[in-house]
Amino acid sequence: MKRRVRTTIASKNCDDPVIDYKNTEYLEKFLTPQGQILSRRRTGFCTQCQKQLKTAIKRARHVGLLPFVG
Amino acid sequence: MTQLYETLVLLDNDVVRKDWKQAKAVVKDTITKYDGDLKSCRRWDERRLAYPIKRKNRATYFIAYHGMDTDRIPGFLRDLELNERVLRHMMVKVDDLPEKELELAAEEDGVDFVVEAPPEDDAIEIPEEDENDENDNSDVPDAPPEANADAPAPKADDKA
Repeated sequence: MKRRVRTTIASKNCDDPVIDYKNTEYLEKFLTPQGQILSRRRTGFCTQCQKQLKTAIKRARHVGLLPFVG
Repeated sequence: MTQLYETLVLLDNDVVRKDWKQAKAVVKDTITKYDGDLKSCRRWDERRLAYPIKRKNRATYFIAYHGMDTDRIPGFLRDLELNERVLRHMMVKVDDLPEKELELAAEEDGVDFVVEAPPEDDAIEIPEEDENDENDNSDVPDAPPEANADAPAPKADDKA
């Protein structure tokens, strides 16, 4: 049985642009069309970076930069 | 050593249309009122909101970097909360001032800096159905007395 290869968005070493809540174009990559945060398996982030991503997205949602839904 | 904070404030576009420097002064004055050590304050962006906030579709974002005593922070946040011109605010701790922040703030304070007026479509239009609903509600109080007038009458007759 052929194993399905999953593609990740972030680089493996997490050295991409600094995760900041004001960088909405970058954060939008890690949202589903419904506005949910992608899992670590899909983003390819390490634990710390995934946590930073979560915080940044939630801050961006609070100030109306990103939607909660849709 | 005081902690450095980044405060993002969403201001009503109506205030910015009148005078954007006055809008900026809203943020600056609130910080200085609570003895904040203001490093920089500038207009970050004007954009459409991802969802309506206080019946507004658009807002102007102001960003300020400042130090502040821990004891003064609750009052500062409360002041922003009560200000009707502030749609929303967020205060986060930061380690350092961003590199280009002071340059951008100085550029904005220059005489030549001009801010374009925000688009007009920032307020949410109130649907006309509300007026009809009010009319419908005005009819509703008239109906129950008639219904009630019919209902108690047989009881009164029964008692008599």
